[in-house]
Amino acid sequence: MPRRRDLLKLFPAAALLAVGGRAFAAPAKGGTITFGIESEPTTLNPHLNGQAKARVILRNLYDTLLARDAQGGFVPWLAEGYEVSSDGLVYDFTLRPGIRFHDGVPLDAAALAATFEAVRDVAYAPSLAEGPAAAIAAVEATGPLVLRITLSRPYAPFLGFAAGLEILSPAAYASDQLKAGGPAVAGTGPFILDAYAKGQEIRLRRNPDYQWAPADAAHQGPALLEGATFRFLGESAVRIGALSSGQVDVIEGISGNDVSLFRDVPGFSYARALNTGTPYTLFLNAQHGPTADLAVRKALFAALDIDGVLASVYRGERQRAWGISGPTEADFYDASIERSFAFDPAEANRLLDGAGWTARDADGFRTKDGKRLSIEVVQSQATVRDQRDVLLLALQAQARQNAGILLDLQYVDLGTYSARRKGGDYGSIPNSRTPANDGLDIEYHYLPIDRGGSINYARINDPEVVEWLAAAAATQDTATRKALYAQVQDLAIRQKAYALPLYVPEDQIAAGAHVQGLGFRPYLAQPDSLHSVWLDEGARI
Amino acid sequence: MTLGRRIAGRVLSGALVLLAAITLAFLSVHVAPGDIVDIIVGDQIPAPEVEAAIRAEWGLDRPLIVQYLSYLGRVLQGDFGRSYMLQTDVFPLLTGQLLPTLKLTAAAFVVAVVFAVVTALLTAHRPIGGRIMGGLELFLVSTPSFWLGIVLLYVFSFTLKIFPVAGDRSFSALVLPALALGLSLGAVVAQVLRQSLERALEEPFALTVRSWGAGEGTLRLRHALRHAAIPSVTLAGWLIGGLLGGAVITEQVFGRPGLGRVTVDAVLSKDIPVVLAVAIFSSAIYVTLSTAVDLLCLALDPRIRTGGR
Repeated sequence: MPRRRDLLKLFPAAALLAVGGRAFAAPAKGGTITFGIESEPTTLNPHLNGQAKARVILRNLYDTLLARDAQGGFVPWLAEGYEVSSDGLVYDFTLRPGIRFHDGVPLDAAALAATFEAVRDVAYAPSLAEGPAAAIAAVEATGPLVLRITLSRPYAPFLGFAAGLEILSPAAYASDQLKAGGPAVAGTGPFILDAYAKGQEIRLRRNPDYQWAPADAAHQGPALLEGATFRFLGESAVRIGALSSGQVDVIEGISGNDVSLFRDVPGFSYARALNTGTPYTLFLNAQHGPTADLAVRKALFAALDIDGVLASVYRGERQRAWGISGPTEADFYDASIERSFAFDPAEANRLLDGAGWTARDADGFRTKDGKRLSIEVVQSQATVRDQRDVLLLALQAQARQNAGILLDLQYVDLGTYSARRKGGDYGSIPNSRTPANDGLDIEYHYLPIDRGGSINYARINDPEVVEWLAAAAATQDTATRKALYAQVQDLAIRQKAYALPLYVPEDQIAAGAHVQGLGFRPYLAQPDSLHSVWLDEGARI
Repeated sequence: MTLGRRIAGRVLSGALVLLAAITLAFLSVHVAPGDIVDIIVGDQIPAPEVEAAIRAEWGLDRPLIVQYLSYLGRVLQGDFGRSYMLQTDVFPLLTGQLLPTLKLTAAAFVVAVVFAVVTALLTAHRPIGGRIMGGLELFLVSTPSFWLGIVLLYVFSFTLKIFPVAGDRSFSALVLPALALGLSLGAVVAQVLRQSLERALEEPFALTVRSWGAGEGTLRLRHALRHAAIPSVTLAGWLIGGLLGGAVITEQVFGRPGLGRVTVDAVLSKDIPVVLAVAIFSSAIYVTLSTAVDLLCLALDPRIRTGGR
């Protein structure tokens, strides 16, 4: 049971209580909790919502065909099993019998087909229809509970997408609530949407009929809590105060400075999980400005003391990232990239001298032909969180001090951002993309822009990378895929310095000690549903 | 007749301001950089037929002037379109968020006015009290409402647990946000009101009233205040603008529903239908209230009524 072990590791407070005898108490049924969360979902339709932070709510309302284990393997959930043909073109999913949506409609193969047909429709979900669902050639029910999906080409990332796609009631697709989400957009999850007060809170109530938890869930049957309220508390200090004063039971999104208020503090528990997917990375534009020169990119790698900056900005609460994927991705992460390059200001200055950036202007920045060595770092204001603005300021100071490079930080609105991104009018874009989705995020970042690399911020156009990624998508063999992704990683980071990984984004949860059973999903490491959460009233302070 | 024409003139110019606001808002959101299709599609790069389908769905394939005129036509029928980001109709979205914002601004307005009137009445021409309150007012004026909100929460919610931390479910949840928003604006009005009150108390009529044997309270409350109120009432128009603007930050800090949060998100994500509707709503509120203030001034001061004769 790796799951239980992980939970104890994640919750040192729970482990201590276990020694004292409390945690062995049988989980109690009943009660409700209030969960203070940072972001309000833009829509409650899980197919249209792109916010990783919204999953903490949506996970309670919608189930998927397969769950993941800690190694990234697939675990039965709504589907009892699946089969992939040897040519990688045909996927058969067999549903578990007896499942009903919140609106009472039974989940059979025909109902399941409605969801896979819908995500192919550009008018419904453009980013899915243009993305992973584009590989679907046909969807048909071959038995009452068996759905066959045929692809137009072998495409290995499809399994992860199909396994993780939220299944909606067929009636939802005809509802006028479809795009914004709402009670009519019914799922099969352990909780049912009860009320949504925009700008304020979302209330869920237990689904009494729930008998289809993932095969590896901590318990089967309906959720233990009667209900839960998610309140939108955008300000970090307010979430912290609300938990400290007992006005909410659980919060997420705890800044490095506040961790000490809850970690190892009696009456509270604190847990964190590193996100999978693309870490927060400085992507350096290889086709525009000074970063088009490999020497400048490598000099920037050498000029920044990332370990030192992370330690001071986050007080050691964030982990350094090295690769194109997260270090916790058991299936695809290749750790040999770690420490394959180092902070070396002398090397940075040697490289820049060699590249002709020899003069200095009055402010101490390097110049060449009278032009300052300036890299425009463009970030969408909407993605500034987790003190990333402070982190970039610290890196800016390092680049200036150690190598005379100007990191020109620009925070812009989404419209400006997308225009500049599209036109390649930037020196660097810093971003992360979580959670991992079976190699799709690697394709989006490293394929040429006109061949599926929709967020290829570094504007890499490398035939070798295309070849490796095509080979990785065409095979079902995880070890082969991992080796190919490792080659992409080595080229993109160590050899060509296109992408400078900074830190691994993470989720944090803090709770009153009376809230038991909180945890993170195996592998994807996002906050899990509240299905197994229960209240230990004896531990309430 | 003059009065009727004045009122009609005020209403007409209000309507013109509103039309100008709609036009400016429409132009500026369309001039602002960024293609809406890219924003809607997110991480993906749309195929040309997909892009065409999205443009057609949102009416973006027509010339700007046609889009503008059809938008005006739909607005007159109460149809503000659908939000790109929230995937929901804008009119119900905003009307649902309008009430909490109006509640907050109204409560903050009361806080500001009560604070201003009480402190001005109590401290005009009182050296020690005036100095103390002047210092407090300076502090409040220069305090960001964001910070004041956190401090109020820390003291009265997290520590003393008198008021709830956030939301809009009870009257008590309104108290701290209204104080955070109203006090700093009230301090500005208090300074203006105290000055004009002090001036009024030096007018000859104040001596006359005193010579009748009226008490200091009666003098200040019944005679001087009305005289001194005109600059402050004019300031109320500014105050409403400040309240609507400040509500954005206050709503964020206190986790309250309201127009402010919707607006910030919409602007950051170039959600044009929402941005436009917010611009129309807020200019409508502003125009209505400042027209009302002007009319109130007419009622308060006969000199303005008669055109300064």
